[in-house]
Amino acid sequence: MNVDLILEALREGFPTDPLEPQTMPIDETIVTLTPENLRPAVQMLITRFGLRHLSTITGIDTGDEIELLYHFWDRQGLTLRTSLPREDARIATLTDLIPGAAFYEREAAEMLGVVFEGHTGLDTLLLPDDWDSGPPLRKEVE
Amino acid sequence: MSRITIPIGPQHPALKEPISFLLTVEGERIVESALRIGYVHRGLERIFQDRNYVQNVHVVERVCGICSHVHTTTYCQGVEALLGLEVPPRALYIRTLLCEMERIHSHLLWLGVLAEHIGFTTLFMYTWRDREIVLDVMEELSGGRVAHAVNIIGGVRIDLDRDHAHSILARLDELERQIEVFVRIVQHERTFQARTRGVGHLSAEQVRRYCVVGPVARASGVDVDLRRDAPYAVYDRLKFRAIIAQEGDVWARTMVRSMETIESLEMCRQLLTELPEGPLAVRAPRRVPPGEVVSRCEAPRGELVYYIRSDGSDRPARVKVRTPTLTTLMTLPDQLRDVNTADVPTVLSGVDLCIACADR
Repeated sequence: MNVDLILEALREGFPTDPLEPQTMPIDETIVTLTPENLRPAVQMLITRFGLRHLSTITGIDTGDEIELLYHFWDRQGLTLRTSLPREDARIATLTDLIPGAAFYEREAAEMLGVVFEGHTGLDTLLLPDDWDSGPPLRKEVE
Repeated sequence: MSRITIPIGPQHPALKEPISFLLTVEGERIVESALRIGYVHRGLERIFQDRNYVQNVHVVERVCGICSHVHTTTYCQGVEALLGLEVPPRALYIRTLLCEMERIHSHLLWLGVLAEHIGFTTLFMYTWRDREIVLDVMEELSGGRVAHAVNIIGGVRIDLDRDHAHSILARLDELERQIEVFVRIVQHERTFQARTRGVGHLSAEQVRRYCVVGPVARASGVDVDLRRDAPYAVYDRLKFRAIIAQEGDVWARTMVRSMETIESLEMCRQLLTELPEGPLAVRAPRRVPPGEVVSRCEAPRGELVYYIRSDGSDRPARVKVRTPTLTTLMTLPDQLRDVNTADVPTVLSGVDLCIACADR
């Protein structure tokens, strides 16, 4: 994976997005995208760069917003970051592009209350069937 | 023919850990399947946020009851990267040594489970007997058979002297002779082949679709191994090869894992003979500067991912764990389609599930 080429393509394809590429320790780059452009960006990574390995999706409640991090890997790491409003956290699913995203989206859905639009099987994955205390990784949940 | 839906689990007839399947069958053939996990979900990702970095090493060790050491390795490696610590070479060698011994123990345990599920009890007895060799070595080194508590942030807490290294080397030779017997059985035994060839097939394309990792991916011809492709610890100083097979069935997975065990033994030899002198750990501050890191290791089941975010305090703001079993679980409905019900245990054990890992 050539991160410089990918960054250039992202800048070209999504000129209004913040991007702000940063380097994390251990060979990993992180870029920020708007929620609307995340799915088109992933589509571009797949078609133009053959980047298909999604390691996982991390969801974080920062207190102000819900952050989603999509961790890709191909000999080195590339993370796409996007932020959703806490009261209405929704984003388009990736499951039709990357079927392997299914469990990670389900997990983010039940742990943080994110709605993945277009995901056909957002059932409970890890929590008990009768869980009614709210998404457990949200800050307000005890 | 009419369809019948059979619930299997969560208390499972084949697996020792809880997972639930809904199999829809037409006669003996499975036409559809669905699965549900979460029966051993402990809310660890939330617990991590309420403990400090040092306490979390102990929690991380308990994510998995088979590959506990690689979890602490991945976690400590991430925290050390955030702290900018230079871990002493001797510590990295010992860390890697335990990683490879753990792989040997995990693969032998798995081979025994598979053998039992296909009715080959003799092989199950032999693999678990010989697995004791490597468990004994790990117990001598660390005091624990499975939870070793070897890693600390900044290094390791155990050491070994030259005599001990020699005694381990002698026992590894004995283990290798046994594993070569297992490899011959896998290659030539007719009943073993009859039960595993063509069962639980995954193509390379399916592996890529579901982002599958580790031996299951390598057995389908996808050449990926983090130890070689993104070396961590001291893997860049070791000579080894990634084992690849093309068939994509349970037999290929058995071959890949068995051959990997031999590679791991060879790596242990290199580590023990080349073990450098020096300190075992550097002092790590309790507070971690703000930042984030993605740490990856090749666990016995494949790519293990930890994402750690620090807000500058002594507790992580977020620790995310993605274990390799989650990736293979997603492939099970595909693998089970059109399979005879008698082959279900073979398919399930063939991917080497670790449910506690997946549930966290």
